[in-house]
Amino acid sequence: MGEHEARGWIRSDETAKQMLSRVLGDRAFLLLPPLHRVPLRAGNVVEITGSSPTAKTQILIQAAITCILPKTWNGVHYGGLEKLVLFLDLDCRFDVLRLSDMLKHRLLEAYQSNVKTQDKSKIVYDEELYVSCMKRFLYLRCYDSLELLSTLKTLHYRIRLQEACGSQVGVLMIDSIGAFHWTDRLSSSLALDKNNRKSLSLTNVVETIVQEMKKLMQVHSLVVIATKATIYEEKYPTNENNRNISSHSDLFGNPSSKAQQPPFREFMPSSWQAFVTHKIFIRKSDDHHKSLGQQNLSAYLLEWLQPQLSSIDRFIVDDSGIVIVSKHTQILFHVSSSHAVWYCHCLMT
Amino acid sequence: MAPLKHLEMENSIIDACFRDFCASHGILTVEDFLLHDLYELAAFAEREANADRLKEGITVMLSLIEVKCRPLLNGMELLEDLQRNKHTLSSGDNGADSLLQGGLREGQLTELVGPSSSGKTQFCMQASASVAEKQDGRVFYIDTGNSFCARRIAQFICGSSDAAALRKRVLSRISCHTVYDIYTMFDTLQGLEVALRSQVQMNVNEYRLRLLVVDSISSLITPILGGSGSQGRALMVALGYLLKKLAHEHNIAVLVTNHTVGAGESGKTKPALGETWKSIPHVRLMLSRDHRNSNCTISILKHTSMPSGKTVRTITRKDNQQCL
Repeated sequence: MGEHEARGWIRSDETAKQMLSRVLGDRAFLLLPPLHRVPLRAGNVVEITGSSPTAKTQILIQAAITCILPKTWNGVHYGGLEKLVLFLDLDCRFDVLRLSDMLKHRLLEAYQSNVKTQDKSKIVYDEELYVSCMKRFLYLRCYDSLELLSTLKTLHYRIRLQEACGSQVGVLMIDSIGAFHWTDRLSSSLALDKNNRKSLSLTNVVETIVQEMKKLMQVHSLVVIATKATIYEEKYPTNENNRNISSHSDLFGNPSSKAQQPPFREFMPSSWQAFVTHKIFIRKSDDHHKSLGQQNLSAYLLEWLQPQLSSIDRFIVDDSGIVIVSKHTQILFHVSSSHAVWYCHCLMT
Repeated sequence: MAPLKHLEMENSIIDACFRDFCASHGILTVEDFLLHDLYELAAFAEREANADRLKEGITVMLSLIEVKCRPLLNGMELLEDLQRNKHTLSSGDNGADSLLQGGLREGQLTELVGPSSSGKTQFCMQASASVAEKQDGRVFYIDTGNSFCARRIAQFICGSSDAAALRKRVLSRISCHTVYDIYTMFDTLQGLEVALRSQVQMNVNEYRLRLLVVDSISSLITPILGGSGSQGRALMVALGYLLKKLAHEHNIAVLVTNHTVGAGESGKTKPALGETWKSIPHVRLMLSRDHRNSNCTISILKHTSMPSGKTVRTITRKDNQQCL
C-alpha cells in the first residue's frame, strides 16, 4: 500500500460540523396533532387504520403541509421541515383543493400569530411562499398493483431528479395501502406455477412492494405514512362505551392482550405487517360534537397501538382542519393559538 | 402487459439471448419483471459470459417501465388541471348545489345513498337535464332498473322561450343505455373509454361528455357479492376504479346510486355494498324523505374537502313541476 493510499485511508470521513449537520438533518420530528404523541424519524413506517370516513386522508394532508412548509420565511416562523412530500394515491380520490385550502389556512395562521396588525383586511398569505410550498408536494396516482410496482421500481431515479432542484424528500405517503387487496386476491387464484415463475399473488405483490420500499429507504431518509381502510365490518358492536370499558380494563389489567388482538380484522400479508413500525387506529365516536352550534360534526377517537399509549385522543374535523377535543371535559389542547382562542370563546358563550 | 418477445421489435437489446437469461429466472413477461428484485437479477447477470449486454438489457427494461409510468405532478400542476379541466356542474337542485358548494365536480365519483323512493332516480334525472341544458354537456345515462323516463327529464327542463325546440335539443344530448349485469357494464364502459379516447385524438368539436349516471350501481354489484370468495368484491373494486379513471382522465362527473339495507337488530339502515365500497366514491350523499310532509333531506356521509355531517333540506321533486 502506497503512502498516499494509507493517508487517504486514515483521513477522517467527515468533520464534526458535517456530522452534526447530518445528524441534525435526520433528527426525529413531531408532527401536528393527532400525530403528536410519538416523535418520528427517518426509517419509521406509520400505518393509520380506520374505516372510511375517519379523516385518514385529512391527517396525511396536514402532515404533508408541516413537511412542505419552511421553518421560517421572511422573518415569520412557520415551523415546517421544508422537505418534499411524495403522495402515492392508490384510492384515486385525493382532492388538491383541500390541500390548497389547508395550506392557505396555515400560512395565514402563522402570519397572524407572528405579525401583529390591527387591520384584519391587510392579512394576506405570501403568494410566492404558497407556490414554493405547493411545488414541494409531489403526487402520483396508481389504478392497480402493477402500476404501483412500476412506480416504486422507478421512483428512486425520479426522486433524484426532483431532489436535484433543492429539497430532499422527507415523507412518502400511501393512501391507502389495501386498495387493491381484492383484485390481487383474485389474481392469486389464477396462479401459474410452471417454469418457476412467481405468480402475481397477493403475498408476492405485497412482498415486492415492501422490498422496493425498503430499497428506497436505504438511499433516501424517509418517513413512510400509509393509511389503511378496513375492508371488513367491525367485529365488536359499535357501542363506544363497551369498547372503552374493554380497552380500559386492558390498560390496567393485561396490556399485552390488546396488542395481540387489534380492534380490527387484519388483512395485510405478514410481510407488510412486519414492515410497519408504528400503528394508529381511528374509529368514529358515537356521540357527535355539538358545541359548535350550527352543525353536527362527527367526532373520531384515535389510539396508538404500537407503541401502545394509554391516552385516546378525541378529535373533530371542521373547515380549518383537525381539532383535538378532550373527551370528558371539553377542554382542548395542542391547538394552534388563534384557533384555541376562538374555540374557547365558543365554549364560554 | 406484454411478453418480453414483443419488445424486441423496438428494442434490439431484448434479444433471444436476454430472454433466455430472463426465462431461466422465471421471467417471461413484463409483469414477471416487475415482481423481481432487479439488483438480484443484475447480480446473476454478472456471472454470465455476456454480463454487460444483459445488464444493459435490464436497464432498457427499466426505462421502458418508466415511460409507462404516470409523471410526478406537483401541487401547482394539480391545481392547474383542476381549475382548467374540472368544473362543477349544477345538479339542478339548489339545496344540493349549496350543500356541495356548486354541485357535482368533474373528475369525481358522487354516490347517492337512500332507501327506495327517497328520490335518487329523480335526482339523477334532474342532474342530467340540468347538465344537458345549462352546461351544454352530453350525458351518458346507464339504467339498470328500467327507471329512466324521458318524459320526466323533459319536465325538468326550465327554459322559457321556444320550449319544444329546447326540449328536443336537450334530450338529444342525453343517451340512455340499459345494462342488467356487471359484465355488460364493463363492456359498455370500455366501449365508452375507447370512444372518448378516439374523440380526443380526432379533436371532435361537438358537445363534450360531462356526466355519467349509473342508476343504480348496487343492483349490478349486489348479485355478485356474498360468500367468502373474493371474485365479487374484486369485480366491484375493478368497476369502481374504471369509473374513477374515466372520471379523472376525461373530466366527467360520475353519479351513481346505491340502496340501503338494514343494519343489525336496531332497525337502522346503512348503505349497501359494505365496507370495501366505502373507499370508492369521492362524495357520498344520503337522501331521506319524510313522507308526511314530503320533505327531502340530503346529508353528507363523506366528502373529500368537507366535514361529514352537513345536512340540507330541500323541496321534494314531486311538486317541482312549475317549470313546465
